[in-house]
Amino acid sequence: MKTIACYSNKGGVGKTATSVNLAYAFAQAGQRVLLCDLDPQGASGFYLRVKPSKKLTEARFFEDVKRFTKSIRASDFEGLDVLPANMTYRDFDVFLSRMRNKRSRLKKALVSVGGDYDVIVLDCPPNFSTLSENIFKASDLIVVPVIPSTLSERTFEQLIGFFDAHKLPKKKICAFFSMVQRRKKLHLETMETMQKQYRKRFLKTVVPFSADIERMGQYRAPVLTYAGRSVAASAYKSLFKEIKKGVGPVK
Amino acid sequence: MTGNQSAFFVVPDGLSAETLAQALDRYTVESRPRQPERAFALLDCHDQSLQQSGRLLIEAAGMLRLYDNRGDSVSQRLKGRGRFPKDFPEGPMKQALSGFPKLRALGVVGEGHISRADFLVLDELQKTQAKLHVTALSSPNERVELVQVEGLRGYDRAFSAVSSAIAGIKGAQADVAAVFPQLFPGQARYQAKPHIPLGKTEPASEAATDIISTYLGVARQNEAGVIKDIDTEYLHDYRVSLRRIRSVLSLFKGVYSEAETAGLKRVFSDLMQPTGRVRDLDVYLLEKESFFNLVPVSLNAGLEEMFDAFQKERARELNRLSRWLRGSEYEKTMRSLAARFESATDLASGPSANLGAYEYACALIWKRYRKVCKLARSITPDTPDEVVHDLRIHCKKLRYLMEFFGPLFDDKGFKTIIKPLKRLQDNLGLFNDCSVQQEALLEFVSTSSGRSGQINGQLAMAVGGLIAVLDQRQRQERDRVIANFEHFDSPKIRQLFRTLFHSAKE
Repeated sequence: MKTIACYSNKGGVGKTATSVNLAYAFAQAGQRVLLCDLDPQGASGFYLRVKPSKKLTEARFFEDVKRFTKSIRASDFEGLDVLPANMTYRDFDVFLSRMRNKRSRLKKALVSVGGDYDVIVLDCPPNFSTLSENIFKASDLIVVPVIPSTLSERTFEQLIGFFDAHKLPKKKICAFFSMVQRRKKLHLETMETMQKQYRKRFLKTVVPFSADIERMGQYRAPVLTYAGRSVAASAYKSLFKEIKKGVGPVK
Repeated sequence: MTGNQSAFFVVPDGLSAETLAQALDRYTVESRPRQPERAFALLDCHDQSLQQSGRLLIEAAGMLRLYDNRGDSVSQRLKGRGRFPKDFPEGPMKQALSGFPKLRALGVVGEGHISRADFLVLDELQKTQAKLHVTALSSPNERVELVQVEGLRGYDRAFSAVSSAIAGIKGAQADVAAVFPQLFPGQARYQAKPHIPLGKTEPASEAATDIISTYLGVARQNEAGVIKDIDTEYLHDYRVSLRRIRSVLSLFKGVYSEAETAGLKRVFSDLMQPTGRVRDLDVYLLEKESFFNLVPVSLNAGLEEMFDAFQKERARELNRLSRWLRGSEYEKTMRSLAARFESATDLASGPSANLGAYEYACALIWKRYRKVCKLARSITPDTPDEVVHDLRIHCKKLRYLMEFFGPLFDDKGFKTIIKPLKRLQDNLGLFNDCSVQQEALLEFVSTSSGRSGQINGQLAMAVGGLIAVLDQRQRQERDRVIANFEHFDSPKIRQLFRTLFHSAKE
């Protein structure tokens, strides 16, 4: 099982769209995928029409295993399940460590219903906290969308700084340029500088600013399902290929 | 994802998206394109063991799909008809059919056309809450739909709501086996041992006639399977039915006139005669593996040769038997027998014809029981084998009598008696098998040897080895007879026999 975190310490960079399209692409490739919506402001669940479940918060007295397995929802797409946004940080910490422990009861419970996952995609909240530190440790890859603007340059610096300060392996960071407008000189210049400065951190894929991606809120489905031939869709396909390669064999 | 909740329902006719939407008021229903129609065959064995266990096996387009009432379905690319599930390649289908009768092959119960359509049950966000897979099955005259409700992880409530809505459709049944009678109505269920209701005061001659007429029907239901050589159980059941009839004729003394009884005995003995050799050969061929296990590998070559000869002889004998069963003379005999046994009035009656069935049964069973006990108690380690053989025959007769008249007596007491009796009979049966097989092997050697009495060395060694092992086995079985009888002869069983069959007299 591989864990891929979609993370950005700045909001509005296309993080949730990336999580949903990436998770969908993995599922289409035949992997069993669990998309965890950890960002209370995020909308992974919204994009997949999965309502947040009340159960998880109500059923505090349940044992962890039941709480987690019961709150997982199937999406409308083969092989893609969703854990909707309603976990506390503490909950998620527990969840993450259980998922990574082969002998945990949660893992066994999932295996027993034929629902163990090959890939877990985390749509993370945009801040630095103990949780994000744990996510960075637990994930195999951290996918970071970056808008090529001055402000994003600064937040990306902060992220690298955070990794240095906490002695986290920077190798895991897979950044890519998101919401790119090639008409803007600033975008092109920033991309050039950042690619030079963080040569190993950036993927080749560039996801353009696109009305097709914005329309996800309207269709409530991955771009690949309603605009499969669009520029945006091919960008996500190539992003998926690069990440799949980066994460290595999943089974 | 696998592991989803699932349930099956059989509904009488065409489920449309509209009727579904009506049944599911909280949800909307979206239909997906229907798959093109193709031919299918419904498979089961002759005893319909799949139907009995609430399962449904469908072969279509080279695929086998098995549905069960727990909501599971298993499918595999496999040909099923005419095959024994135990011979399937290792895989999900073989595993799912592991309880299938070992000696039975899959036959076609009926044929028709199949098509599949899927429906999505959606909530107000157009999010899928459950899926419906609707398999439409049609036979030449009937139509039925098999609906699978598939739940999605995390949507348990929708699954229950949809399931109960489907269950509420008029005529819906939560039993996949309901497809059989609905698609192929009027197809009599085959039972090797049908329940034959008897009245306590019914005249004995009527009881005998009922039993014989029923077993004539059972025999006839097996003819086609013998001719097609689907599996060896058809001939076995055919012979057992005729044997039951013959035992009625010999055990129900005095129900028909002496001349009538003698004539009928001859007719049924003649009917049975052409089947004997094929059955013997079937038994050897079924035991092939265990024969090989009885002797050391060094003797296998000879055994191989012997079984080749059996196989060839069986093909010849079966050919002869099939021709006989398809022939007009046979058909004429069976028809006239069926007509004669339609009612007891067409048969010349004997002195006991009008005795009440209950009284008659008590007398017969009590007498036979006493015979069994007398004989069995006399057996010591030195008693000749012939006496043990006689005991086997008496036990068999006792068992038949008890089975024929079973409906007249208390079920619980019967079961208590039958258990140790069956154990004794199994024991005596093995004893007999060993002895019959030894004789058959000797016979085989004598027919296979040349004019000067010479025989192939390997063959001789194999047969010699087998006979030695079988003789030891026979002795072991014989040693068990005394202990098994003592078990049957317990005070409790004695008391039961007395109360069940002899209480009226005291």
